[in-house]
Amino acid sequence: MKSFFRMSYPYILWIGLFIIAPMVMILLYAFTRSSDGAITFKFTLENFGRFLSDPTFLKVLWTSLRIALITTAVCILIGYPAALFIANLPEKRQTFLILLLTLPMWINMLLKTYAWRGILMNFEIESEIKVFIGMVYDFLPYMIIQIHTAIAKLDRELLTAAYDLGANKWRAFLKVTLPLSVPGIISGITLVFLPAVSSFVIPKLLGGGNYVLIGNLIETYFLVAGDWNFGSAISLIMALIIIASMYLTRKLDTSGKEE
Amino acid sequence: MKRILICLVLCLCLLPLGAMAEFDAASLAGQTLNVYNWGEYVDMDVIRAFEKEYNVRVNYKTFESNEYLWLQLSSEDAWDVIVPSDYMIERLIKAGKLQPIDKTIVDNLDQLAEGVQNLSFDPDNTYAVPYFWQTVGIVYDTTKISEEEMEAQGWEAFRNPAYAGHAYMYDSSRDGFMIAEKALGYSANTTDEAEIMAANEWLEDMHKTLKPSYVTDEVIDSMAEGLKWMALVYSGDAAYILSENEDMAYCVPSQGTNVAIDAMVIPANAKNPTLANVFIRYMTGYEASLANSTEVGYASANAEALAELSGPGGEYEGNEAYIPRSGYEKDEIYVDLPSEWQARQPDLWEKIKIQ
Repeated sequence: MKSFFRMSYPYILWIGLFIIAPMVMILLYAFTRSSDGAITFKFTLENFGRFLSDPTFLKVLWTSLRIALITTAVCILIGYPAALFIANLPEKRQTFLILLLTLPMWINMLLKTYAWRGILMNFEIESEIKVFIGMVYDFLPYMIIQIHTAIAKLDRELLTAAYDLGANKWRAFLKVTLPLSVPGIISGITLVFLPAVSSFVIPKLLGGGNYVLIGNLIETYFLVAGDWNFGSAISLIMALIIIASMYLTRKLDTSGKEE
Repeated sequence: MKRILICLVLCLCLLPLGAMAEFDAASLAGQTLNVYNWGEYVDMDVIRAFEKEYNVRVNYKTFESNEYLWLQLSSEDAWDVIVPSDYMIERLIKAGKLQPIDKTIVDNLDQLAEGVQNLSFDPDNTYAVPYFWQTVGIVYDTTKISEEEMEAQGWEAFRNPAYAGHAYMYDSSRDGFMIAEKALGYSANTTDEAEIMAANEWLEDMHKTLKPSYVTDEVIDSMAEGLKWMALVYSGDAAYILSENEDMAYCVPSQGTNVAIDAMVIPANAKNPTLANVFIRYMTGYEASLANSTEVGYASANAEALAELSGPGGEYEGNEAYIPRSGYEKDEIYVDLPSEWQARQPDLWEKIKIQ
């Protein structure tokens, strides 16, 4: 057992160097101010105050959250029936359909988005709708696969029992299939909402330059303004939102299991 | 005896090469040169020809903004030749991060075009040799906006409600503030609080009345396809757009604009300064300049190549965007702003875009 543990040293070193150390640096920057490149190690909440007291920044935060929420909702609405449909097919065809679903995931996201840009350019649609088309297209497979896995491993005997006890198809779905597929929905949300809230390439390319999102802000303050302190504070706020939503979804998941 | 003879013959062979400039070309063979340039800013055949001629390897990488280059230089050190813009070269000189050009090797500076001689940030080419130069201007669709209309408005076209929803704004805080400051009759390098805040107000008004789309390089293809009526564009990109779409024209407003120069410099910690100087000499020469400018569309710093490409039968004959305006008193080269404004202008710019 001990020798196995030793084999994880490289990985621990990796985590330390490339995950923990950068996070510590972001923390350090976020809670300090620097003038002319010199960092004065004095604890300050100034960076956070600047973000939270400015309605324009809060507007950006809200736009990012709104786009992510709507994308996730649309993914569930389209993804659930699709997953249910696939799960009720013979096993061989299920495997084939899931393979088809994962096919677009082999293509680089940037390429797919540029392709959508070319297609959507010819249509007079609101740029916000274009953004959602691109986002849902990109994230939908994750949602379908998660829900499908949950439904496919569901014990069919339970449904038979429900029918025996006089439930009709609709009632059996509501009382058996849906509650038991909640874990799938939850992990689907995790896989869609979290990347969606921090994504900025798709809105940038499909939104025709009408969106400033959190990701764009972080980029500007780091690379253009050279204000690493404020940039770090925004990154940290972003990270907190992601951690909070992960906590919430896990909470939903466990309360679902206790029932 | 035989060996000495061979040596003699070899030396004689190398003589013409050595006589061309003050370096031993043979000693460079097999070396590697690290070049860091803007994206899509070179004819790769020129790089390959250089590799072949001197039997060296060029490690060619690209960057997207001066600020990014600055960050890279603070953390890494492997570059022999970099191509920053005017104000960034000024900052690099001030920070002591550059080494002087070896003019015994780079002996062809007399070939530089008039517009890129005696530049404010480095008047006698101590550190920098100009590569491409450009102005900032407006590309517009002549079927939607007439020439007289555009010339009369200049930068104020960006506050004309008649063009609302039909304009691209280049997403760069420095250029955004430049057009506002020029429209208001200020210097593009002002650090006066009241003037910058007036420019900020001008830009807020621009955002509200024009509702522009904020873009970067996408603007090139989008305007070539004629998706919008007008766009803020660099002259080199404008030259390409005009050659692709004959409805498009280029206006350099009479209120004045920014003249930008991208120049080759050698970082103080370059590993291979000799080869770097040889490379700079090669890129400044007529043939390399002609090929690069033909491929990219930006105005060459080589006078002869510039004349050839814009002259009769040249690639950019009759293309009004190709040769940047020079010698106009209201035009300015960017100066490196004090660090306070380096941070504040992008901050103000983000807030303008969000509103």
